[in-house]
Amino acid sequence: MQKELSTKTINSILEKYEPQRHNIIKALHSLQDAHPLHYISNSILDAVSSFFNITKAETYGIVTYYSMFSIKPRGYHIIRLCQSPVCSMLNIKDLLNHLADRWQLKPGITTEDSMFTLETVECLGACDNAPAMMVNEQLYTELSKARIDEILTHLKEAYHKNL
Amino acid sequence: MSKLVAIEIDGKKIEAPEGAVLLQVAKEHGFDIPSLCFHKRLSPTGACRLCVVKVEQMPGLVMSCAVNIKAGMRVTAYDEELQTNRRHTLAYLLAEHNEAYDNSYEDEMRPLLERYNLINPDQRPFGSLWENIPRVIDDSSPVLTYDSSKCIRCFRCIKACDEIQGKGVLSFADRGITKYISAGYGSWKNSECDGCGECIQLCPTGAIVEKPFRGLINVKEADNTTITTCPYCGVGCQMKVFVQDNTVMRIDGFDEVSPNYGRLCVKGRFGYQYANHEKRLTKPLIKKHGQFHEATWDEALDYAAQKLSDVKKKYGNMALAGLSSAKCSNEENYLFQKFIRLVFENNNVDYCTRLCHASTVTAMLKSFGDGAGSNSIEDFETTDCLLVTGNNIIETHPVTATFVKRGKAKGQKIILIDPKWTPLVNHADVWLQPKLATDVALLNGMIRVIIEQKWYDEDFINKRVEGGMEAFDALKKLTDKYTLPYTSEITGVNPQKIFDAARIYATAETAMIATGMGMSQQTVGTNNVFSLINMCLVTGQIGKERCGINPPRGQNNVQGATDVGASPKNYPGYIPIADEANRKRIAELWEVEFEKLHYKPGLTTIEIMNHAHEGGIKAMYIMGENPVITDPNQTHTIEALEKLDFLVVQDLFLTETAAYADVVFPAASLFEKEGTVVNSDRRVLRIRQAIQPPGQARQDWEITIELAKRMGADIGTYESPEDIFNEIALAAPIFGGITYDRINFQGIQWPCYDANHPGTSTLFLDKFNTPDGKAKIIPVDYKDQSEKPHSDFPLVLNSGRILYQYHSATLSRKSPLLNAYANNHYVIINPIDAKKFAIDDGDNVKITSPRGSLKTIARIRDEVLPGELFMPWHYSEAPVNILTRNEMDPMSKIAPFKYSVVKIERI
Repeated sequence: MQKELSTKTINSILEKYEPQRHNIIKALHSLQDAHPLHYISNSILDAVSSFFNITKAETYGIVTYYSMFSIKPRGYHIIRLCQSPVCSMLNIKDLLNHLADRWQLKPGITTEDSMFTLETVECLGACDNAPAMMVNEQLYTELSKARIDEILTHLKEAYHKNL
Repeated sequence: MSKLVAIEIDGKKIEAPEGAVLLQVAKEHGFDIPSLCFHKRLSPTGACRLCVVKVEQMPGLVMSCAVNIKAGMRVTAYDEELQTNRRHTLAYLLAEHNEAYDNSYEDEMRPLLERYNLINPDQRPFGSLWENIPRVIDDSSPVLTYDSSKCIRCFRCIKACDEIQGKGVLSFADRGITKYISAGYGSWKNSECDGCGECIQLCPTGAIVEKPFRGLINVKEADNTTITTCPYCGVGCQMKVFVQDNTVMRIDGFDEVSPNYGRLCVKGRFGYQYANHEKRLTKPLIKKHGQFHEATWDEALDYAAQKLSDVKKKYGNMALAGLSSAKCSNEENYLFQKFIRLVFENNNVDYCTRLCHASTVTAMLKSFGDGAGSNSIEDFETTDCLLVTGNNIIETHPVTATFVKRGKAKGQKIILIDPKWTPLVNHADVWLQPKLATDVALLNGMIRVIIEQKWYDEDFINKRVEGGMEAFDALKKLTDKYTLPYTSEITGVNPQKIFDAARIYATAETAMIATGMGMSQQTVGTNNVFSLINMCLVTGQIGKERCGINPPRGQNNVQGATDVGASPKNYPGYIPIADEANRKRIAELWEVEFEKLHYKPGLTTIEIMNHAHEGGIKAMYIMGENPVITDPNQTHTIEALEKLDFLVVQDLFLTETAAYADVVFPAASLFEKEGTVVNSDRRVLRIRQAIQPPGQARQDWEITIELAKRMGADIGTYESPEDIFNEIALAAPIFGGITYDRINFQGIQWPCYDANHPGTSTLFLDKFNTPDGKAKIIPVDYKDQSEKPHSDFPLVLNSGRILYQYHSATLSRKSPLLNAYANNHYVIINPIDAKKFAIDDGDNVKITSPRGSLKTIARIRDEVLPGELFMPWHYSEAPVNILTRNEMDPMSKIAPFKYSVVKIERI
C-alpha cells in the first residue's frame, strides 16, 4: 500500500489554489482526501506552510483544531459509524461490539494492515434507513452484522483485486 | 500623540490619551485591576476575562483591556459584583492550572490567588480539573520547556512570538479544554523557533520556563537590579541581569526603554555563560621557554613594561602598535588610544572596525561628513521602504530585525540585495541575487533606471548636493552605460527585478538603507557604499525623518570605539590628527607637550600585521581582539605574530591569539565592569557591573593605566570610568553634553553638544556635516576583481555570520545552549556544483585557496548561486581566514572577506 503522497502530487493539488488564506482549509481537505492513508502528513504540512507562506505552527493549529483532519495515518477505508439517537435505538452498540470482535476495529483505531479505520460520528442524516455508516464517501444503511461483514469483505477483496 | 481627554474611574478624575487601552490607563493611575492575558507590549486579547469593569452606557461587565478611552467615560473598577465575578473567573482558571511552583520564574497567578482568597483549596468554589486533562510537556528545545498543565491559554506567548518578534512560531494545537501551545508540528526543537525566549519572558504562569539554572535560581532572592547593555551585537539591547552567588543565572529584556523595549535574541538571553566559565583567565601569565606560567600582577606588568620599553628604545617609537577592542567600553578604548599616542608616541592604533565597516565609514565620511548610521532603530519599523543590502539582518541584528518585521506587517516594502539566501527573503517584496562583488554595477543600473524614469528629486539635488545638477549630470554620464541588459549581464539579476527595486526605493514616500558586510568587505567596499550614497542622494531619500543610510554594527561597541578615538587617523569625535590645531587642542586637554603627539596618521589593522610580517612593527599590545581568527590570510597573521619581539594580549580567555603572546593579562568581562558603549544608532548606553571578576582579573582601563605607569608615563588619574567619560566629553564635541546621569537607562544619541542638547535621533535633517553643509555625489564605475576564478580555483567563497555564534566565538561558544543550536562548521554549495564536483550532502570536503586550505562538511543548498560557496567564519577548527587574502580596499584598507577563489574536493 502506498504510504505517502509524492511531492509532485502534492504540488499539483496545491497549484489549483491561489495562495490566499481562505484557501488553506480547502487545500488541506483535498490533500487529505488524496492521501492513501487519509491524513495530513508532515510532507503535506511542510508543503502547505510553504505554499501559503504561513508558519508550521499555524498550519498545525488549523489541522489539529478541526476533527475532520487527522495528523495520524488512517486506513485506506474510513468507516464512520453513526451514533445518532435513532441509530442508537437500533442497537448500534451491537454493531460496534461486532466490529471489535470480528474486525478488531474500535473507534479511533486503524487495522494493522492499514485497511480500515473506525470513527464514530454524531449523525449521518439517514435516520429513515438507520442504522447507517459511511465508508469514505459511500453511505450504507439498514446495517446488520451480516451486512457489515459483507461490505467490509467486499471492500477488502476489491482492494486486493485492484492492486 | 493622541489628545488627552477627561475620564473618571471610581470617582477619580483622570486625563488619558483618547483611544488608549482602559486597563493600561487604569493601571498607570493606581487601579490594580487583575489581569493575566494582558501585557502592555501586546495587543489586548480578552482571554482571561479577569479585567472586567463597568462602564456607563455600556451594557453588562466589559473587559477593560478591550475598551478604548473616550472623553467623558465613567468607569467602575471595583464593587462587590465585579470582585465576585473576578474571583469566580480566577477560580475557573485555577481549576485547570497546576499551581506547583519552584521559585524559578515570576508567577503572576499566585498573588491573585492570595488577593482573592483562593490559596486554601477548601475556600475554592470548584475542584481541581487539570489532573484529568491530557498533559503535554515539550522539553525538546535546548533553552525552554513547555508544560500544558501550567498553561492558562492566555495567548501571551503566541503574541510575543508573533507581534513582538515577528516570528509566529507558536500556535494553539487541539481545541477546547485540551488545547495547548505548539511550536511547529508539536516539537519546539523541530520548529522554526530560534530560541529568543520572548515567550518565556511574557508567560505569566510558568508554563514556558527556561532550562538553565532551573532548580537553582530563586527569582525572589536573586539580585536582578543590574540593568546593562548586551555584550553581543551592536543593537545595544538593555537587559536585566539576575545574579545569585556571583553567577549570572538569567537575563531578561529590560522592558521600559529603547533600543529594544524588552526584546532580546537568543545570544543576549542565553549567551552569558562565558562570564562564569571555568576557562576564564584568573591570573596574569608570562611565557617562558614556550610555556605559560602564572605570575603576579607586579611581575607581569613590570615584565611587559620593560620589554615594550626595550623595543621602543631599540627600534624607535614607530615599531610599536596596539589593537583596541570593539568589545571594550568607550572609557577603555579612549584610554587605550591615549596610551598608544602618549606612551608608544605614535598613532598605530586600530581595531576590528577596519575589518567590518571601515569602507562604509570612509565613504559616508567623505560624502556626508559623518560615518555613523543616520537613523534610529524605531525608524526600521516606520519607514515606508527598507533596502537591505549585504546584511543578514535577521541573524546578525535580530532585535533590529524585529522592528523590520513589525514594519512589514504594517505594509512596509522590503528590497533585499544579497548573493546568498537569508531569512529576510521570506519577508522581502523583491530579492535581487547578484553575483558576488558586482554591487557597483547593480546600483549603477538602478540609478540609471531612476534617472531614466525621472524618479530623481531635483529640488533635493539642487539644495542639498554639492554642485547640484552638475554633480547629477556627471553621475548620469557615468551610469548611462548601465542599461538593464548590461547590468543584468554583469550581475546575473533579472532586468525586471532591477527595475522593480529601483521603482520601489525611489518612489517610496520614505526609504532607508541598511548596508552590511556584504557591501563593505570587498576590495571595492568604499565604492560599493559610494554607489549606495549616490542612489540615496539622487532620490532625496536622506535628510528627512525615516530616510537615510545605516550600517548596523556587528559588536556592542564597534561604533563607540571609533567615536572615542581608537583610530589611526582621528582623535575622539572624528577629529583628524593630521590637523595641527587639533593636536594642540588635545595636547592641552591631556596636559602634554604638543610635540609629544605624533603628526603622522598611524597604521591600520591589516597594515599593522603586514608591517609586523615585514619587520617594521616589533611589539604589539592587543586588548580584547583575536586577529588569528578575525584577520584575513591566517597563515600570514600567525607568521606576523611569531615574528614580533614581544606581544601583550589582554583578554578574558586564552584565545587563539593569546597563545602567541609573551604576556597575557586577565581582564574583566562586560558583566564585571562599569562604563558606556555606543550602539548602531549612535546611542550612548551604560554598562553596569553585575558580578565580581574571577580571581585576579582586572578592569581593562586599570591595566592600561598601570602599564603606562610602569613605562614611565602618566596617562591620567581616574577614580572611576565616569571620570574617564567626563574627559571623553571634553575631547569629543559630539559627546559634549552627555553625562552618566543624563544617559541613565534611556541612552542619548550623539551628536549631543551641550547639557541642553537633547541628542540627535536622525542625522542630516538640516545639513550634512561637511564644510559647506552639502553632500557629495562621487560617481564610481564597476571594476573587475583582481582575483578571479580560473581552472585551478574555479569557485568563489563568500563568508559570513550566523545567529547562534558571535565573531571569533570566544564568548558565544562558551554557551552550551548556543552550541546546542549550532556548533558545527560547514560550507554551503549549490546542488549544480555539488553534482559537478561529485559531492553529497554531509560529505567531508577540503577547500583550498591560493593562501591555504581547510576541511569542513558540505551542505548542499540552493541558498548560493552556482559557482559560489558560503562558510560561517566563527569556527577556529575550520578557520575561513586561512583562505582569505590580505589585499586591501585602497581607500578604507578593508580586506575582501567576501571574495576568495577556491577549489573544493571530497575527502
